[in-house]
Parts: sequence; C-alpha cells; structure tokens
Amino acid sequence: MINIFKEIYSYREMISSMVKRDLRGRYKGSVLGFFWTFLNPLLQLAVYTFVFSIIMRAGIEDYYLFLFVALVPWNYFASCITGGASCIIGQQNLVNKIYFPREVLPIAHVLSQLINMLLSFIVVILVLIVSGKGINIFVWPYLIVVILQETLLGFGLAMLFSAITVYFRDMEWFLGIITMAWQFLSPVMYSVDMVPERLVKLFYLNPMTPIIVAYRDIFYYKKAPELQDFILGTVFGVIVLVVGWLVFGKMKKHFAEVL
Amino acid sequence: MKDGNAIEVKNIKKSFKVYLDRSSNMKDFVIHSKRRRYEYRDVLKGISFDVKKGEAIGLIGHNGCGKSTTLKMLAKIMYPDSGSIEIQGRVSSLIELGAGFHPDMSGRENIYINASIFGLSKKEIDKRIDGIIAFSELEDFIDSPVRTYSSGMYMRLAFSVAINVDADVLLVDEILAVGDANFQAKCFRKLREIKAKGTTIVIVSHTLTQLEEICERTIWIDEGLIKEEGSPREIHRHYAKFMSDFSLARSADEADGEEQEDDSAIEQTKKENNKEMEIFNVQLFDSEGKERYNYVTGERALLKFDYMAHVPDRVSMELVILRNDGLECYETNTFREGFPLMDVDGKGHVEIEIDKLNLITGEYWIELSIRNWDAVPYDYKEKAATITITSVERERGIAKLDHTWHFSHKEK
Repeated sequence: MINIFKEIYSYREMISSMVKRDLRGRYKGSVLGFFWTFLNPLLQLAVYTFVFSIIMRAGIEDYYLFLFVALVPWNYFASCITGGASCIIGQQNLVNKIYFPREVLPIAHVLSQLINMLLSFIVVILVLIVSGKGINIFVWPYLIVVILQETLLGFGLAMLFSAITVYFRDMEWFLGIITMAWQFLSPVMYSVDMVPERLVKLFYLNPMTPIIVAYRDIFYYKKAPELQDFILGTVFGVIVLVVGWLVFGKMKKHFAEVL
Repeated sequence: MKDGNAIEVKNIKKSFKVYLDRSSNMKDFVIHSKRRRYEYRDVLKGISFDVKKGEAIGLIGHNGCGKSTTLKMLAKIMYPDSGSIEIQGRVSSLIELGAGFHPDMSGRENIYINASIFGLSKKEIDKRIDGIIAFSELEDFIDSPVRTYSSGMYMRLAFSVAINVDADVLLVDEILAVGDANFQAKCFRKLREIKAKGTTIVIVSHTLTQLEEICERTIWIDEGLIKEEGSPREIHRHYAKFMSDFSLARSADEADGEEQEDDSAIEQTKKENNKEMEIFNVQLFDSEGKERYNYVTGERALLKFDYMAHVPDRVSMELVILRNDGLECYETNTFREGFPLMDVDGKGHVEIEIDKLNLITGEYWIELSIRNWDAVPYDYKEKAATITITSVERERGIAKLDHTWHFSHKEK
C-alpha cells in the first residue's frame, strides 16, 4: 500500500505532463485557443441569464448567479465521471505496452479537470464582482475544503468507472444518462428548500448535495457552510474514494489482457 | 533471490480467454448469450529462468510461442496466473516507442512527455535532454511540432528517448529495426554501451544476428515451454534448422494438388508480361538434395532455375547476391567467367553449384538475370530467392575468408 503511493509519487512528472498535454492539447488548432477555458463558462452564463431572467423567470433573486456558482462545480464533477470513465481505454496504447502505475491516468484526468474548474472560478468571481453581488473573502478558506471533498469524490468515481469501462464498454454510454439524471437530482438548478419535506433525508444520501450546497453558501450567500454539510461531504468523499481505489486495484492487473 | 541474479522467473503460467465467435451485435449477444463459447488457450505452460546481473539474454521462437507475453510479464504489463517473477532494480522497457507523443507539440516537449511515462522525474529529464537530442540528430527540428516530422525522424526521436532511460534491467522488443541502416548501427552501439555499464538486458527478436552480437544466452520458447537454452550460436543453429523443416513441411502440404495450377500460372504470367525470355522455378538445394533456404556458413548449396526463351538469341547469365540491406556481396556472370555467349531457344535448365556458402549471418537475396550480347537483360529477377545464413563462429563482416592461424611464440 505504501509502495504504491511512493511509486505514484515517483511518477509525478508523468502526471504533470499528462495534465499539461491535456490542457494545452484541448484547444490546439482552434483560433481562440486557451481563451476558450474562460469563454466557455462565460457563454454558458450568458445562455442561462437569457433563459432564466427573460423567458422562464425563476422565483429566486439573481437566479443566473444562483445557478452559475453551482453549475461550474457540477461540470467539474460530471467531467470527472464521463471523461474519467474513458481515461483508461482512451490510452490503451500506453496501458498495453508500458508499465506505469495505472492510477496515474485517473489522477491526471481529475487534476486537469480540477485546474479547468479553478480557472472557471476566476470567471465566477469576476462575474460576482461585476454584477454587484460582491464577494466575501473570509469564507474562502472553506472553499479549499469543499474543493478537496469534491475532488475525493470525483477521483473515487473516476477510478471506479474507468476500471469498469475496460471490461464493460457500454458503461461509458450509460454514464451519459446517469450524470444527466444525477444533475437533476442534485440541487444545482433549485435549492434544497424546494424539495418536499419527506424527501429531504433521502436527498442528502446524494453525495453531491452537501457539496453543491456548500459551494452556494460560499459564493452566493457569502457565508460559511453548515457544519453538517461539511462532515457529510467529507464522509461521502472518503467512502467513495476507498471503494473506487479498491475496485481499481483489483481490476488493474488485467487491463492489458482485455484491451 | 540469489545473489548476483537480476531476474528470477519461476514456473510462470498464463492462459487467455479466446472467444470462438464473438457476438457482433446486440441481438446475437442476447440470443446466444448462454452459448457464447470460449476456450482457454495456454500461452505459457510453466517457464523458469534466471538472468544474472549484467547478462544479456535473447528470447526466440516463432509467432505466438509466448515470448512477447513473457516480456510483457517481466515489464509488469501483465501478470502470470501462477508462478512468480522477481526483478531487482529499475526496469525500463523498449516495447513501445513514442508513447504519449502529441503531434501538435514540439519534439522537445514530447521528449518530456515520453520520458516521464518511462518514470523519469523532471530533474532526470533535464539532465538527459541534451544527450537525447544529440543522439536523435534532430537538433534543427527539435522545436518544431512532431507532426511535421517524417516517420523516420519520428522513430529516431522516440528511440533516442527510450534508449537514454537508464535502468538496471532493460527489456527490448523487436525494435532495433528503426530508421536507416546508419541509425540502426548507432542504436546497436548504444545498446552495447549500456550493456558494458552492467545493465541486464532481455531482448525479443527475430533477427538472430543481433542477438548473437549482444547476448550471452538464448532461450528458445516453443508452444509455451522452454525448448532449448544455451549459447546463442548453438541454439540459433538448431532453431534455424527447426524452422526450415517446419516451413518445408508446410509448403510440401500446400504443394500437393497445386502443382498443376502452378504450371498454368506460369503460362499466364508469361502471356501477360509478354517477355521474350524468362527465368522461373528458382530453387535452392542443400548437399543432401533437399530444398532449403536456411544455411550455416560454409555449407554447400545448389541453385537451380529454368528459363524459357520465346525468341532465339545468344545470351549470358548473371548471378548477384545482396545482403537484405542492399549491400552487394557478390556478383558474377557467365561472360566474365569465360563462357562464350550461349545459344538459347525454348526451354532450358541451369544449375549453379556453390561449394561453400561463405557468407556471415544474415538474410541475403539472390538476383538472377539473363542478358543479350549488349548486357541488356531479357529478364531480371530481383529477389529470385531469399536465403538466411547462420554463422557458427561469432565472426563479423560479410564473408568468411578461409584461413588458418599460425603462432610462433618465443619463450622468454
């Protein structure tokens, strides 16, 4: 167990070059290039603002901001799952021919998505300031913990699904629909208050619920997250990570035979 | 692990699931799911060997014998079903070249990506980068995107990275065939250098010459078991013999019942080519009169061929032997050897007796031509036959020169 951590650490250069390759390679060839990283969330915001402030008026104040501060973290989570599922089969040439700790691939995938989200947060913060909503720097330390929780969760699921997808290719396609359903079942587009009383408990079994709520507390309500969300988010993150890690560890030995 | 050993392989076994007919669509999958038939194919049936520190060994065997699977297990890409593999020190495998190359990134950036996949840290790559670039001879292109490279340049870059990864144990799979002859020679020199530094090397190759140059020992794997193990030249001789018997048996099977077709096929090509003269039926026989294309240096061989002259003329005939990299090893013709131009008309048969096939290990092409008085060829068979020569001594060069050593040491 200790050995594998040591080994992954010794392959840190591979992780960083895979991340660089992914981030720099993503928009290669497009005219706006890396600028898309910022443009993408901004355009998304424009669409949501148009739809929800002009066409379908929601009863929530500054709904576009309410949605936007949750949507950016959600996109990070969704890409951990859907992109993560194919991170092993997408690199089958490497897996088939070269030895390296297989964990490197999901780690690199999640890190590159994380960096993407952090860059999007620059846009989020600028929008919050420009819109007059304002920011509260004093609650930002909590942000680090929430990001960490979400990363544990995303990484655990990326490991789980990337390993399963090697054996069961249809997983990749199932996950597309699963993440869509998951988004609607998480308080991304609405607040937890809108959920019927008797379902709230059930609602909190969704590991993304406390995380989204915490993000919104920090950015939208400019306050510290509730302690219970904090604990719940951590517990979920750790459990999912352990499960993902174990399943991945069990399956990785046969990757090269199946691919 | 015993002292002085770098690798210990103990009784490893491996089998793969082989599907007899894989369902191609959902309907088949559902309907026949209960009858999906597969069987286990034993690829390795219990292989054990040790490799000493600093030793170089070669793994040989025909396709599908399990040698590549063995190498993949040494590289920890696959794991044995049973048995154990122990390796001491850092392992680097030259199995896949150019892993992770991104076409839009520069040669330099790709060196970093590729080397990091081999497990090098940034510091280690920084230290090696100049050496890698110099070795690749791509100094002028190193900051251009890799997609602008020719395939030769691409392979040169890839190989330079791979071979500059220092390791205690180096695993090599059939990749010394990259680039032009010059670069190959350079790679080979580098491999020797690496070996001289005390690196343990395991090579899988079909090119027996290369193995003989670098390995102390060859392990011949056949049908998942070690068939023979020992000094390369001895094993290679057995292996070459085994392979030629094997292919001969197979071609004999195929030949039955096809002979008649062959003749009509010749007629056919004759008409199509509309050649005035033609060479065909080029065959090589050994001293026992058996058709054979694998020889040991110094063996006797008989080259036979037929010709058909559709027009009468006076001709000479030419024989050239080339090494498979294009080097001309021997050239002669009947005219030069003092035969007058020969009158030919219709079918004829020629035999060339070669008392001693004094070529050194390698693959050679035989070229035959039939020419008019002005040396213009009527027919010119570029690769009339391909022969493989295995040299018993570990000599190098092109040809064996018969020689004797005489010593007269003065007593002090």
